[in-house]
Amino acid sequence: MHVTIIAPEASLYEGEADALVVPAYDGHVGILPNHAPFMTLLGRGILTLRLAGKAQTYAVDGGFLQVLDNTVRVVAENVEGESDAE
Amino acid sequence: MAKSKALKGRIRSVQNTRKITRTMELVATSKLKRSQDRVVSARPYALALHEVIAGLVTPELSQQFPLLRRPALPAGGGPARAAVILLTSNRGLCGAFNSNLIKEARRRIERLEGEGYTVDLHCIGRKGAGFFRYLGRAIATERQDVGDRPTQEHAGSIIEPLMAEFEAGHLGRVELIYARFESALSAPPTTLAVLPVEPPARGGRLPDYLLKPDAAGILDKLLPLYVRNSLYRGLVETVAGEHGARRTAMKNATDNAGELIENLQRTYNRQRQAQITQEIAEIVGGAAALQG
Repeated sequence: MHVTIIAPEASLYEGEADALVVPAYDGHVGILPNHAPFMTLLGRGILTLRLAGKAQTYAVDGGFLQVLDNTVRVVAENVEGESDAE
Repeated sequence: MAKSKALKGRIRSVQNTRKITRTMELVATSKLKRSQDRVVSARPYALALHEVIAGLVTPELSQQFPLLRRPALPAGGGPARAAVILLTSNRGLCGAFNSNLIKEARRRIERLEGEGYTVDLHCIGRKGAGFFRYLGRAIATERQDVGDRPTQEHAGSIIEPLMAEFEAGHLGRVELIYARFESALSAPPTTLAVLPVEPPARGGRLPDYLLKPDAAGILDKLLPLYVRNSLYRGLVETVAGEHGARRTAMKNATDNAGELIENLQRTYNRQRQAQITQEIAEIVGGAAALQG
């Protein structure tokens, strides 16, 4: 599935992902390919993006998540850097 | 002789000015590039927010949110105050950029006053504030700290107090005057009605989403972000517009200086030649008299 992570100032990630764990306002939500259309508000926490066995994390705060036709848009109010975690 | 010396001085002074304007042109070009990138990279966020809000707002919901409600005119018992936020640059030497923005602001203020509002003027940028202070108009807030890199925090600190006042029913309208960045050559002054939020036209129905918590809950959080983001975009575009305008102004100045130098140089050369000719004529005349 295709994922974009968008902050107000710039897009931070655009590409494929196998799985995504997103901090929603009421707890973490896992998104796998072929998820139903879904929209939720984001809370504060760590977003994990998995691609080919590797994981990337971003700290996000506020904003929303939109899933439609295997396209995921994470539109976050604050996003902090990327760090690779195994 | 004295005149050609004065000419030489003028040529040198215009050459120096040309050096300065050319440097400013180069600086503006590189700043323009950076601020233009910032305008472009701010687009996806604005677009996403815009789309979602357009998809969620329904006429029933818009009655629920103070930010979407349109207050009555002052004559009809609505709030008596309105706010105009004017974005200008902190520095000059950018052609008519600032005066165009100020002109637009004066037009909007007149219009709002004609509708019966008392207008609070919020000036962001030194040039706008300076002008209205000169006119002797009261300025509600004046900020010069937003430089070449506006941030979300800047946008938030400007708009949040106004949002609160609007929600409380003290303000009837909030308008933003900024330079819409169309290209490096064109950034026309533009008025954006920030509050009440103009729900974007529906671009086709959203598919049936699972919404968490629900449309109202999501809108409640996203509307303030949307408002703040429109201000942020205004700030970013105005900065880009300023550098574009400065580049054009400085390019013209450099070109003019070049032309001026060319003319002065020609006059100077002609004068020098005339003097030499005259000296030769005198010598020849003197020698002829001696031979007599």
